[in-house]
Amino acid sequence: RTTGGIYAPPFTTKNYTDILATSKVFDWMLNSAIVSIGQTLLTLVISTLAGYGFARTDFPGKRVVFLLVLAGLAVPEQAIIVPLHTMFAFADMHNTYAALIAPRLAFPFGVFLMTQYFKGVPREIEEAALLDNASRLKIFFRVVLPLTVPAQATLGIYTFLHAWNEYFWPLVSATKPEMYTLTIGLAAMQTNFAQTEGIGFLMAQAVFAGLPILILYLFFQRHIVTAVAGGVSK
Amino acid sequence: MSRKHLMALVVAGATALATNAHAQKTEITFARFFGACDSDYGTSTEVEKARGECGVMTTLVNHFNATNKDNIVVKPQIIEWGPYYQQLTARIAARDLPNIAVMHTAQIGDFIRSRVVDPIEDDLKAAGIDIEDFTPHARAGVTFNGKVHALPWDTHSWLWHVNVGIFKQAGLVDAAGKPIMPKSVDELLAQAKAIKEKTGKPYFIMASVAAGDAGNAARTFYTLLYTQGGNLFPSGFDKANFGTPEAKTAFETVERIAKEGYITKGVDGAGALGGFIGGNGAVLLTGTWRIDDMLAAAAKPDSGLKEYTARIFPNLFKQDAVWADNHSWVMPRGANNDKQRAAARVFLKYLWDQNYQWARGGGHLPIRKSVMAEYAKLPERPNVMRITEIGKALPHDVRRQFGFQSLIGEEVNNMINGNKASAQALKDAQERADQLLARR
Repeated sequence: RTTGGIYAPPFTTKNYTDILATSKVFDWMLNSAIVSIGQTLLTLVISTLAGYGFARTDFPGKRVVFLLVLAGLAVPEQAIIVPLHTMFAFADMHNTYAALIAPRLAFPFGVFLMTQYFKGVPREIEEAALLDNASRLKIFFRVVLPLTVPAQATLGIYTFLHAWNEYFWPLVSATKPEMYTLTIGLAAMQTNFAQTEGIGFLMAQAVFAGLPILILYLFFQRHIVTAVAGGVSK
Repeated sequence: MSRKHLMALVVAGATALATNAHAQKTEITFARFFGACDSDYGTSTEVEKARGECGVMTTLVNHFNATNKDNIVVKPQIIEWGPYYQQLTARIAARDLPNIAVMHTAQIGDFIRSRVVDPIEDDLKAAGIDIEDFTPHARAGVTFNGKVHALPWDTHSWLWHVNVGIFKQAGLVDAAGKPIMPKSVDELLAQAKAIKEKTGKPYFIMASVAAGDAGNAARTFYTLLYTQGGNLFPSGFDKANFGTPEAKTAFETVERIAKEGYITKGVDGAGALGGFIGGNGAVLLTGTWRIDDMLAAAAKPDSGLKEYTARIFPNLFKQDAVWADNHSWVMPRGANNDKQRAAARVFLKYLWDQNYQWARGGGHLPIRKSVMAEYAKLPERPNVMRITEIGKALPHDVRRQFGFQSLIGEEVNNMINGNKASAQALKDAQERADQLLARR
């Protein structure tokens, strides 16, 4: 019997029960959730604040700083992994949630996205609020920020997805099994040579790891479509 | 004393005892690959019944933790095989060293040069491990500058897994029904032609497309090189030479086989394994670790692999030799205080005592001469035992051996899949090897 073809009974759920029977798999899922949610929330805070600053305020060197931020888009992860690892090793921070979350908070794409979106919000709305003696912070939180929900949803989902699927940085930073994220933990379960037999197990791992993302997408699909179709282009 | 006071005393006493017992346990971390299989072996301590690398390794640790009288707890740290050394290096940089770590002997040299691995002869002797019982290949694998730096765990090597049924169909068996192994390249090509004509099947099945498949092609190349008495480093260990007659012959041999259509193309690991078990090729090129799987597959009534035997990669040139490596256990420098070191010695001695079980269940060859007689009773094992004498590897002074394996394997696979001629593949291998060794 070969595994050729899509329909090859008998079907089995053993591959899923094998995953669920692994004592640490829910710990890994929790780690992934903490890292992904933490990264998402903090990235949203930093990117929206930075984006508003670039879009609406004037300060010396603003253009240069913005260009420096954009230059970060051109730097691949692999180019900075060694100094990043050394830095966190020096601070004795490996195997912590902070080490897993912090490196990704400086997110040039997020700053760029929010800057462009804030630029698209009509200035008249803010001017009207200014006339009512609202402070800059109040204008930001009460007037402008609610208008950027589609962009925030896009950025949030993109960041969450990226954080959930991240592999390389957790591989070298979370080296204690109790700190593994789901991607690292599931990969460690594979036998030698990347599971060249038992492909069913490999496929079950992929489904298991992707399920939370799929559920998230189903809930936020509307925001993603709205953002892509029209909101972001404003 | 009231009953309440007595109860409180008893509880306090029990808590103190428990805390004290817990405080005396020595934990040692045990970094390894070999996968995780909690669903099948998570709580099992029945080592004799375990199958596969994961099963045997898991039950060994469970059994040790359940039975040792020294209050030692071994905590496995399971790491994916592919990036194992990347993660280990990152851990070293972060000063997060495991007490014991698995290491291929091909890699130990780099870690010795980085001052991470030291000799452990004294530890092994203190643990009661007899170095004189190491097989020749195992001893050579763990000995650097005249000193033993690791406890060898197994020898693994490159085989021909043979579908005897296909050899029979092509009339390539002797009077006893055993497959006739070729003794030269011309004989091999003649056999491959006969099998193709009479069965329509390729002579060789080998995975050659994924990044992880580079090892298959590299081990085939190394074996073809060693059987010619070839040397990839004739002028010193900082400069590989792919222009030697033996290296060229090795590449050209594979090219001839591929051009005639006698080896599968564009097949990955799962496809190769499934294809061979399905009876779609005469010889599967893979390692000793697959013997048990093949025996199990051949035993199934509906298997395409009707009759199976394992053979050491034949000598097609002038001397018996085959690529072979070892898994071994090291104690990284600075990872162990005195108490942990003593505990690690006890665990290493336990592993040493269980070496036969690892070989039985994991599919590799044992590293102890004294268990070879027991090992020889297992099916097909007598055919491969000589590997412990003829197994060869790159010299210890060659740096970045896994990098070498990748680049050689990629170039050979490129040839097999028709993307390069041997001359270009050799040239590219030379260039890449020079770049690899130029980095300090």
